[in-house]
Amino acid sequence: MTNKASRVELLQGTLDLIVLRALSTMGPQHAYGLAARLEQVADHPLSLNQGTLYPALVRLEQKGWIKGAWQTTENNREAKYYTITRTGTRALESQTERWRRLAGLVDKLLLHES
Amino acid sequence: MPFRRVLRRLANAFRPGLAEPDLAREMASHLALLEDDFVRRGMTRKDAQFAARRAFGGVALAGDLHRDARSIVWVDDLRRDLQYAVRTLRQSPGFTVVAVLTLALGIGANTTIFGLIDAVLLRWLPVRDARQIVQIGASTLPYPVVDSLANQRDIFAGAFGYGTMSFNVGRPGAVERTPGAWVSGSYYDTLGLQAVAGRLLSRDDDRPDAPPAAVITDGYWRRVFGRSPDVIGRRLPVEGVAVTIVGVSPAGFTGMNVGQVADITLPVAILPRVLPEEASLLNIGNWWMRVFARPNPDVTPGQAQTRLAVIWPQLVNAIPTTRTNVLRMLHTTRLDVTAGGTGWSFLRQGFRQPLFVLMAAVGVVLLIACANVANLLLVRAAAREREIAVRLAIGASRSRIVRQLFAESLLLSLLGGAIGVGIAAVGGRLLVDLLSTGAVDAIALDLAPDWRLLGFTSLVVLGTSMLFGLAPAFRGTALGLAPALKQSTSRTSSSRAAVAPALVVLQVSLSLLLMTGAGLFVQTLKNLRQLDAGFRHEGVLLVNVDGRRAGYRGAALQTFYEELIAQLQPAAGVMSASLSKNTPLNGSRWFERLVVDGRPVQPGNESTDFNAVAPRYFETMRIPLTAGREFTLRDVATAPAVAIVDHVFVQRYFPDQQVIGRFVSYAGARVGPMEIVGVVASTRSRGVREPAQPTVYVPFAQQDAGGATIEVSAAGSLSDVANAIRAVLRPRLPQAALRVQTLSAQVDAALVQERLLATLASAFGVLALVLAAVGLYGLLASMVTRRSAEIGIRMALGARRAEVVWLVLRQSVRLTSIGIVFGLIAAAAVTRSVQGMLYGLSPVDPVTLLTVSLVFVPVAALASYVPARRATAVDPLVALRCE
Repeated sequence: MTNKASRVELLQGTLDLIVLRALSTMGPQHAYGLAARLEQVADHPLSLNQGTLYPALVRLEQKGWIKGAWQTTENNREAKYYTITRTGTRALESQTERWRRLAGLVDKLLLHES
Repeated sequence: MPFRRVLRRLANAFRPGLAEPDLAREMASHLALLEDDFVRRGMTRKDAQFAARRAFGGVALAGDLHRDARSIVWVDDLRRDLQYAVRTLRQSPGFTVVAVLTLALGIGANTTIFGLIDAVLLRWLPVRDARQIVQIGASTLPYPVVDSLANQRDIFAGAFGYGTMSFNVGRPGAVERTPGAWVSGSYYDTLGLQAVAGRLLSRDDDRPDAPPAAVITDGYWRRVFGRSPDVIGRRLPVEGVAVTIVGVSPAGFTGMNVGQVADITLPVAILPRVLPEEASLLNIGNWWMRVFARPNPDVTPGQAQTRLAVIWPQLVNAIPTTRTNVLRMLHTTRLDVTAGGTGWSFLRQGFRQPLFVLMAAVGVVLLIACANVANLLLVRAAAREREIAVRLAIGASRSRIVRQLFAESLLLSLLGGAIGVGIAAVGGRLLVDLLSTGAVDAIALDLAPDWRLLGFTSLVVLGTSMLFGLAPAFRGTALGLAPALKQSTSRTSSSRAAVAPALVVLQVSLSLLLMTGAGLFVQTLKNLRQLDAGFRHEGVLLVNVDGRRAGYRGAALQTFYEELIAQLQPAAGVMSASLSKNTPLNGSRWFERLVVDGRPVQPGNESTDFNAVAPRYFETMRIPLTAGREFTLRDVATAPAVAIVDHVFVQRYFPDQQVIGRFVSYAGARVGPMEIVGVVASTRSRGVREPAQPTVYVPFAQQDAGGATIEVSAAGSLSDVANAIRAVLRPRLPQAALRVQTLSAQVDAALVQERLLATLASAFGVLALVLAAVGLYGLLASMVTRRSAEIGIRMALGARRAEVVWLVLRQSVRLTSIGIVFGLIAAAAVTRSVQGMLYGLSPVDPVTLLTVSLVFVPVAALASYVPARRATAVDPLVALRCE
C-alpha cells in the first residue's frame, strides 16, 4: 500500500511539472496534444499510458494552475483545451526552481557515492 | 494542499454527477483524436480504434484515477456506502422499521432525560460571558448586605441581589398573577445585557425616590402586548401602583432562576412604595435575596472568596443595626464564591439525584435497544453471508465490507436519532408538565436543543451504531469463503448461535433491573400517598389573601378577615370556611423558641412550629380534636390568650400529664402565656416524608395579622365552589388575582419528585420489557426457521405437538430464567444506591422482586407463542424436501 502510494507521488510531482511546462511553452493544448508532446520528448515513447494524464490535469485544474475550455480542433473535432493561468505560471517558476535544486542535490549525492 | 482544492474535492465527493459526464466526453474526444492520427498514419479505422485504446490505456482505470484525484476517496466511499445502505434497507422495510423504531425510542428517551439535565443543571444563562458569573454565599442574604457587596469594586466588576415574587398585575377586576423579580441596580449591567426595546434598569432606577420603573421579558412583551413598540413608557399597575415599563430584556433571558420565569423586573429600592406591608424585606433580618457577581478580570473566584473573607467582618460591623443575633448570624455566615453562570434553581436540590437515576435508566433502555438491533443485524448477516462471500470472492477487501455494513448501522442510527429528537421534543414538554404538577407557578424550562444536547445525541447515535453494528459487521465477514459459498439453507453459523442468546439474557436481566426500580418507586409513591398525613386534602380549596393590599391594618385587618369568613360560610357548596397563617405542605413555616409554664424548654437552635388559625380550622381540614375545644369567635385579641397543641407536642413535653390548662408561650411573644384549651391529632406539615413535628396552634385573632390562606371545605363541584369563593372575595379584594387552589394539588406538589420517578421509571421499565420480549421473540422465531428441518424430522419420526412446543418453550424458559437470575443479582447490587429515594420498603423488597420476576412469565409465554405455533405447523414433507 505504502509502496504504491510513494510511486504515485513521485510520478505526480514530475508529471505535474512537465504538463505545466508544456502548456507554458506551447500554449493551449488538449490532453492528446500533451500526451503526444510527452512521447516526443521521452526516450521511451511507449512508457506512458495516455490515460494517466487525467489525474494530473484535474489536480492542476483544482489548484487553479490551469484552466480547461471546450474548443474545436483544426480537423473539426471537439476537445478540451487547457491553458496555464497566471498563478500557474508563478507556480511553474517555483516548482522548476525546486526541481532543479532537488535534482542537483540527488546528482551530487549520486556522484559522491560512486 | 491548498484550501481551495480541499473544497473542490469535497464538493466532488458529494456531487459525483457533475464531473463524470465531462470526463467521459473528454476521454471520448481524446480517443477520437488518437484514432484520427493513426488513420493518418495509414491504419484502417478498425485498427486505428484498437491502437488508440491501447495507447490510451484502460478507460475505466483512467476514470478511477481521475475520481481519486478529484475527490476525497473515503468521503466518496462513505457516500456510496450510504447510498448502498439506503437501497438495501429499502429492500427489507420490516427490518428497517423495527430497528429504527427501537433505536428511536432508546435515543429519544436518552435525549429527553439529558435535555432535562441540560436545562436544569448545565445550561449557561444567556448573558455575556456566563462562565465568569459567580454566586456569593450558598443561600440567600439580606438586602443591606447586597448593597455593601456591590460596593466592593476592587473585587467585583459588578454584583447584584435577586429575589423572586409573584405580583398582582393589572387594573382592579382584571388582575393577573405574574411572576417577577426584585433586583438591585447593577443587575443588567453586571450581566452585560442589552435591551431589545427601550432601556434596561440602571443604578439610577434603584433609588427609593426614583420614578417606579420596570423591565419586562421578551416573552411577556409578546404574550401581553403583541410586541407593540409603544409599550415603552406605558404604565402598568403592579400591586395597584403605576409602574412605567422602560424596556424589554433580550429573548431567552428570563431571570437568574432556572425554571422560574420573572416576567416583570423591578428595582428593589422602590419595594416599600409598591408593597408597603412588605417594606421590612429591606431590613437586615430578612434573608431573601440571592447575590450574584462578576469578579474583575484579574480576580479568580477563589481570590474573590479569600478577599471577601478578609473584609467581611468590617462590612458586617458597618451595617447599622442593633439586632445582635442577626449580626452574630452574619458574622458566622461563610461567603462561598461559587460558579453562578447557570443561575440558581430550586429544581437542583430535589431533582439532581432523580435525574441521574433516570439517566442511568434510559442508558439501560438504550443498551437493551442496541441488543435488539444487534440481534436483528445478526439474523440479517446470516442471511447475507452468501452475498458477502461473493463480494469478498470478487476482490472486495474485508475492511471495505465492514465499512459497508457499518454504514448501514450508522444509517439506522441516524434515522433513529432523527425520530428520537422528535420524541424528545414532545417528551420534554410532557416532563415539564409533570414537574409543574400542583405548582403555583408553572415551571418554565428552555428545552430548545443547544450544542450540548445535539452533541450528546450525536455521540449517542455514533456510539449506538458502533455498539450494535460493529460486532455483526466483523462477524459477518469473518467466515471463510468456501463454507459460505456452498449452497445450503440449513447451515448455521455457530458464532451467531453463541452471541444471540447471550444478548437475550442480557436484555431480560436489564429489563428486570429496570422493572424492579419502577416497582420500588411506584410502591414508594403509593406508600407516601396512603400515609395518614393527619388531615384530609380531598375537597379542600385554598386561596391566598392579603387584606393589607386592600388597605387594612391592625384591628381593622382582623375584622376584615372575620367578615370574609362570615361571608364565605353561607356561600353555595361551602361546608365550612376558615383561615390560617400557614397550610400543611405549603412550604412555609412559622417557628419560635418554645416556653412552657414560663420556662424556655429548648436549647440552642431548636424551635417549635407554630400556626395561627381561625375558628373551624380543624373542622375544615378535618383534623380530629381529641380533647378540649376548638377556637371560637370569642377567642379575640382582648380575650384570654389560648392555644391548642397536637399529639406529638403532648408526647414530647407533657408525657403522661394533664395538658389542658397548662401554659405555653414563645420567646418574644406579644401576648401573655397562652392556656392550652385543646389537643388535636398531628399532621405532617413540613413534608410528606417528614414525621409530624410538635405544633402549637394559636388563634389568628390573637396574633399580628399579615397575609393569610383561606381554607374552604367544599361539597359538590370544586370549580363551582371556587367560582362562588371568587364571587364573594372579588369585591373585597379587587387588587388580588385570587387564585383558588386545591389542597390536593398542594399535596401533589409535595410528591412531584416521587411521581416523576415512579412515572418515568415505569414507562422505561415497560419499554425495556417490550424490547426484551421482542428480542426473545426474534431469537425463538429465527431458531424455529433454522431448525425447521430438524423439527420436520422429529415430527416425521412421531414427535407429538407438545414435544415440539416444548422444544421452543424450553429455550424460552431457559433464557428467561437465566436472565431473571442475573437481573435479580444486578438489582440487589444496584437498588441500594436509590435507598434514600424509597419510602416504607427495602431496596430488596421481596414482594417487588417476586412480582417483577413473575411479570416475565406471561411476557415470555407471549413471546414464545407465535414461534411455538409456527414450529408445530412445520410440514415434515416440505422441511425435508428443502434439505
